[in-house]
Amino acid sequence: MNYFGLNIKKISVAIFLLSISIIAYQLLLIHIFSITQWYHFAFMVISVALLGFGAAGSFIALFKNRLIANVPWLIPFSMLISGLLQCSAIFISQLSFARFDSYLIFADYSQFINLIITYLIFFLPFFFGAISIGLSFIIYIDQIGKLYFSNLIGSGLGGITALILYSIFLPEEISSLISLLPIISALILFPNNYKRIFTLIFILSIAVSVFFFINPSALKKSEFKSISKTLNLIDAKVVFTKNSPYGLIEVVSSPVLRYSQGLSLAYQKEVPQSKAIFLNGDWFGSIVKTNKGKNGFLHYTTTALPYAMKEKESVLILNAGSGIETAQAISYNANRITAVEQNGIIISLMKNEFAEDSDSLYHHKNLTIRNIDSRTFLQADTNKYDLITLPYTNSFGGGVGLYALQEQYLLTVDSFEEMFDHLESEGVISVSSWIDYPFRNPLKILSTIVEMLHKKKISDYKNHITAVKSWGTITFVVKKSPLNSEEIVKIRSFSDSLMFDPIILPDISESERTKYNSMQDEKFFEYIDEILSGHRSRFYDEYDFNIKPANDDQPYFSQFLKWKSLSYLKDIYGIRNAPFLEIGYLLVIITLIQIIIIAFVLIILPLFKTDLKGNGKLKTLLYFGAIGLGYMFVEIIFIQRFILYFGNIIYAAAAVISSMLICSGVGSYLSSKIKGSKRNLIFICGSIFTVLISYKFLLTPVLQSTIGFEFFLKAVIAFLLIAVPSFLMGMPFPIGLKIISAENKSLAAWAWGINGSSSVASSVLVVVLALEFGFATVILIAALSYFTAALTKVSFSAFSRRYNL
Amino acid sequence: MHALILILILCLSAFLQDDPYVQDRERMVRTQIEMRGIKDQAALSSMKKVQRHLFVPKDLRDNAYDDRPLPIGYGQTISQPFIVAYMTEIIRPNKNSKMLEIGTGSGYQAAVLAEIISDVYTIEIITELSNSSEKRLKELSYKNVYVKNADGYYGWKEHAPFDAIIVTAASEYIPPPLIEQLKDGGRMIIPVGSPFQTQMLMLVEKKDGKVTTKSLMPVIFVPFKRSK
Repeated sequence: MNYFGLNIKKISVAIFLLSISIIAYQLLLIHIFSITQWYHFAFMVISVALLGFGAAGSFIALFKNRLIANVPWLIPFSMLISGLLQCSAIFISQLSFARFDSYLIFADYSQFINLIITYLIFFLPFFFGAISIGLSFIIYIDQIGKLYFSNLIGSGLGGITALILYSIFLPEEISSLISLLPIISALILFPNNYKRIFTLIFILSIAVSVFFFINPSALKKSEFKSISKTLNLIDAKVVFTKNSPYGLIEVVSSPVLRYSQGLSLAYQKEVPQSKAIFLNGDWFGSIVKTNKGKNGFLHYTTTALPYAMKEKESVLILNAGSGIETAQAISYNANRITAVEQNGIIISLMKNEFAEDSDSLYHHKNLTIRNIDSRTFLQADTNKYDLITLPYTNSFGGGVGLYALQEQYLLTVDSFEEMFDHLESEGVISVSSWIDYPFRNPLKILSTIVEMLHKKKISDYKNHITAVKSWGTITFVVKKSPLNSEEIVKIRSFSDSLMFDPIILPDISESERTKYNSMQDEKFFEYIDEILSGHRSRFYDEYDFNIKPANDDQPYFSQFLKWKSLSYLKDIYGIRNAPFLEIGYLLVIITLIQIIIIAFVLIILPLFKTDLKGNGKLKTLLYFGAIGLGYMFVEIIFIQRFILYFGNIIYAAAAVISSMLICSGVGSYLSSKIKGSKRNLIFICGSIFTVLISYKFLLTPVLQSTIGFEFFLKAVIAFLLIAVPSFLMGMPFPIGLKIISAENKSLAAWAWGINGSSSVASSVLVVVLALEFGFATVILIAALSYFTAALTKVSFSAFSRRYNL
Repeated sequence: MHALILILILCLSAFLQDDPYVQDRERMVRTQIEMRGIKDQAALSSMKKVQRHLFVPKDLRDNAYDDRPLPIGYGQTISQPFIVAYMTEIIRPNKNSKMLEIGTGSGYQAAVLAEIISDVYTIEIITELSNSSEKRLKELSYKNVYVKNADGYYGWKEHAPFDAIIVTAASEYIPPPLIEQLKDGGRMIIPVGSPFQTQMLMLVEKKDGKVTTKSLMPVIFVPFKRSK
């Protein structure tokens, strides 16, 4: 079949390649912004860029006739422009007129202009890519199922492509490689009568891509990123760099770089030099010598508390990272140490390149290393331990709000319950934190522990919990059985010898709490007592920050922000410090608002220029908006649930996205064989609704009961769980588009834009809903979206009858 | 006629004055420091005297008395005036004191201390900043300030013990050599906290061999407008 000389097969291949590049490019931008800037701003910029799809839909709706008349050259030309912009946008965005620094935005308001320029730079590659896809859909509306299939399969492979490229190339090199795909797509579709011009343009475009690959623009990290500040130290240099799906890992060495968090004032020896590991430019951990023997600095921190209470035979270290807690366990002669770390690159670094710098820590005979997510390990493991230890909670990202939106399944009440179940009868869990101000992390740790004990039907909290603070850190220890008098004596002795202060003990006195380290704001102790009392629910409500414990349905430990705390933080730190405070959640709200405004401007306003008829507009908006929202919500829910199931966030996300898109692609392909009737639409949307409602109740129990299975079996179960709804969800879009295009092709282009914009807005909205109401509510809303889509069937059935579809 | 002469004198005095920021400085001390509760007269008069604008890059001189830190290059800043005054007051300086500063930066804190006490020893890890601050302090005739380019972790053993130590760079631990070099009865002020996040300004006191701490106020690395 041909349209203006464009062959459907060629278009399918071109769209397939273009779709790979668009998804891979989107993921690359998130990766690059996370390295050079700050993740939340990456989120803001990319969500606006993706609205290029909505804008393209409106653009086609407005200028449909002129565009369709020129499709033979316009489709390949748009692909070519998209490719060229993909390889050059990063370079342009780093030029001084455009360069934007997210950390400066509250200090230097001229940065807003740079932000808008940045938005525009990254909006254009998506806009031009979307123009070519949208036009293809419109001219081949009768083959929409096949084209949408190519689009979805390409998008699915885009995620996998990005992961493969991350493992081989540096981030700055990847955009040139990705950009080759749309350029090749353009070549496939070159019209014969323009062949010479296009051949010349093609050669030039390839030359541009090759140029940027050979001379990639070095990524300029914000000078406020922690790696930038570290590189200001004497003789500081990056000694190791590796890109990976986890992010860019860099190791920095400097003769003046030392590590010893919260060291006791009683420590008189040298603090050892260390190398620092950075992940995406943020501090990840330090590589330190094991420091065997009693004089090692690891015996002089509050984290040594559980070892001071009683010798530990078996120790489980969760989120082991670069091995500080592991080194501590070894220095206390634990016989059976299990260290769990999700990031395989870090394990490899510690075992190979930096083994000598850590006294071959990860080769120790008493140590077993497990490369898996800590929570997944806990759910599958059957061993018992004397001690389960976690790193400083602040190193999870708490305290500055940067990780407020990151799911932290290890720091939920459910997780602490699982840890508690893994303890020997005299075993303990140890968790530490910096004492931030205003107080957040220590209070939330304590509230989590108390809620866990409450769920375990233990009410005498003070007999099971102890805590010791230094001048800046605090360590909480929760014991399975009540603390005995011998342990209480040892805790006091440990504190006294190291100039620490006990904070929680069954018979604690006020003076004990400040013997060595006092605080300007001693309300901290009142807060601790409130949480340990029976009035803790009231205290959670009244406190300025969100310190209510997180659970698996809302696993956001580091989300401390309450709206009333904003002015409090501003008064203490000043508005210029906003990027360093609890504003992660606030930025999501800002992102959502900006998306809604931009989407309104790009999608609703253009309607006034078109000749679309009134009733169809609202139903089209509802139908395509609802299926866009529903699809994205289901995708996010699956990612969240499968992170725990597979124990690896990167691969879980890639597997979910790819499986969903490929299964939906198959659904879309088969939809071209289904009649676009009222009955079929009701059946499809109704089936999706039913499947999603059943998932609301069954998904979590099924995953929990099979998490201990072999990987292959789990992969099959996961694929089946994803495949069923995804296959069905691939159908409503092409069928709906085919039906409305029969009446008006402009409406079809516009509908496609709505669907794209709704998906982008939903990806942000889902974060807000998950934070506020939890995942169970999100899946319910997803189901209701498809129900709403089914309700709009009436207008389509009218179309069907009218056009005999 | 009388009024005209008065105006003429005022104009002439303004013209002849070599420090055009006197009023800015007085306003800074009044509004940013005194009004926020700093009472130490020695600290206040020293901050009125030391020409802060000479310790910032030339293109930022007009901002020298703003209520904020300013960039001095190499990723470092000159502290907000209030923080300088606060740290000076907390260590209770007197004219016989011998002090150690870790993190000279542009030399401003050292100059403020040098107006009050007998000897200021200051260590800067970044060679370029160490050289430029030493030169600046010499040009401004501060003969009681001694600058060394070294890692501040080790302190300055040859001149220890010190009555007070001011650390201006944030740390995740309190360096043991500094505690050792603190005189009995001495005070140290240091910003401490988790790496690269918010820090707490901490007072460390040594009395009868016993070391105690008190957390005072949160501080943070403030982003600044990039110099063009």
